[in-house]
Amino acid sequence: MDAYLVSIGIVVLIYALLAIGLNLQYGETGLINFGHVAFFAIGAYASALLSLKGVPLWLSFPAAAALAALAAVPLGMAALRLREDYLAIVTLGFSETTRLVIQQEEWLTRGVQGLPGVPALFASAGTGARNWLQLGALVCAVLLAVMATRLLQKSAFGRLLRAIRDNEPAVAALGKDPAGYKIRVFMLGAALAGIAGAFYAHFVTFITPEQFVPLVTFYVWMSIILGGVGSLRGALLGTLVLVVFLEGSRFLRDLVPGIAEAQMAHIRLGVVGLALILCMLYRPQGMFGKRVP
Amino acid sequence: MSFQLLVNLLINGIVEGLIIALPALALTLVMGICKFPNASAGDTMTLGAYAALVLHAGGLPMFFVATLGAMVFSALVSWAAYRLIFSRITQAPMVASLLAAIGLAFVMRSVLALSVGPEARTFKLPLVRAWNFDGIRLLPTDLMIAAAALLAVVAVFCLLGLTDAGRKLRAVADNPDLARLSGIRSRRLMWLLWAVAGALAGLGGVLIGVKGVLTPEIGWEFVLPAFAAVILGGIGSPVGAVVGAVVMGIAQELSVPLVGPSYKLVVAFAVMVVVLLFRPAGLFGTAEKVR
Repeated sequence: MDAYLVSIGIVVLIYALLAIGLNLQYGETGLINFGHVAFFAIGAYASALLSLKGVPLWLSFPAAAALAALAAVPLGMAALRLREDYLAIVTLGFSETTRLVIQQEEWLTRGVQGLPGVPALFASAGTGARNWLQLGALVCAVLLAVMATRLLQKSAFGRLLRAIRDNEPAVAALGKDPAGYKIRVFMLGAALAGIAGAFYAHFVTFITPEQFVPLVTFYVWMSIILGGVGSLRGALLGTLVLVVFLEGSRFLRDLVPGIAEAQMAHIRLGVVGLALILCMLYRPQGMFGKRVP
Repeated sequence: MSFQLLVNLLINGIVEGLIIALPALALTLVMGICKFPNASAGDTMTLGAYAALVLHAGGLPMFFVATLGAMVFSALVSWAAYRLIFSRITQAPMVASLLAAIGLAFVMRSVLALSVGPEARTFKLPLVRAWNFDGIRLLPTDLMIAAAALLAVVAVFCLLGLTDAGRKLRAVADNPDLARLSGIRSRRLMWLLWAVAGALAGLGGVLIGVKGVLTPEIGWEFVLPAFAAVILGGIGSPVGAVVGAVVMGIAQELSVPLVGPSYKLVVAFAVMVVVLLFRPAGLFGTAEKVR
């Protein structure tokens, strides 16, 4: 039971990292990133492939973050100077493109067969201790990310981001370049997603393209909306609710016989979709939202 | 690449492009007026296609009863989506509609997949032999598909250009406030818009099924090329959407000998990014830049 709770804790914290990144992009700056899972996937595959080639993990984690951030640059350049919904379409397309490339380039990623035997984080510790250590590392990573976000919010840079979110023409009129700031925030959020991906890869130790479907992006959206857009505490709480739902659906399958995993996946898809619609209709500000749109 | 192969790919690309033109037209009409990309259009296509599948399996002739039935069904779905969801959040920020559209797409796909199962389906149509002109193959089915798609496109252009409702729609797209001030009542107009968009998507879905196979994910796979076509043509421009879609279809087909069939979607994405980088207004549109 302990081991189970620890692994749930790890999953919660990985989603929390994703949520912190998306909260930075959407909650603080108003960037509509519908391809978060792509950066998660890039981080996971980058770190996994590097470590399989023998690169130590303390190097592969930063590499994962850097690659994910770099991938954000051309997308940001293409979409961030335009109307806000372009970014949504472009990032959504990017996430499907990334998944397809991972699926097709078998020489690198082994395609749909997936990458088995990714070295676990803290592999030298025993199986039980390893997960506790991973949990600890993730707690540190999330705390660091939260503190960094708080510092950012208080800084001049953070004020500018909120100004861009609330009134972009005014920011431009002050002689600042909103697009430049947006690209930087987009990269920061992507880097966080990349790190989350690296943690994920070295936790599950087996990754396949199927783990990186667009649905994952909207899990994260769901959690920041549930928690309340722009609220960091809300984002973390929303993440908890989300993972409880995901895990709960697994128990449901054990309780109700005759539901195949494929069907359960479709049920989850429908529930998340319905939740998104209902949230948008009745409670767009979420549970802890302070900004009423 | 031999000449015959090139021509065959071109023909295939044009047919594929005309199919993409239907959801692209639906997307650009809604985007021009409601100002958000309706990501649920792809799954509306799938619903329409499966509706035709059911009607056809029930013994109705494919042309035109099952096809028309599917279009009516998807028009109703689309209209209901507008009435129940999108009309209620027009005052909210655009992202609310966008997320609701994604949510709706998920719900549609989930309900469909749970009720019909994940297997691929095809229409049980009589097999027809392709006409062969010196290695250039022409399928009568493809001609039918192209004709049906063209007919729908022409019908929409007639609606937009020749009828009173069409003129009002263009007025609302151009300047909603001015249109309201001029006494254009927008409620019925929006119903018409969403019904037309739904019918277009439904027909697109049916044609996808006639040309290939249907899976619950098929519409989603077509929505990105359709978005790319819309962006290529210029958002809000119906002519642009159709031209963009045909270009997209040809580009996707021509890429097959170079990068393989699985990269069609990647080609669509690449075209989209290149257009946004170098000509964000698209071929026929005006870019809405953020300043």
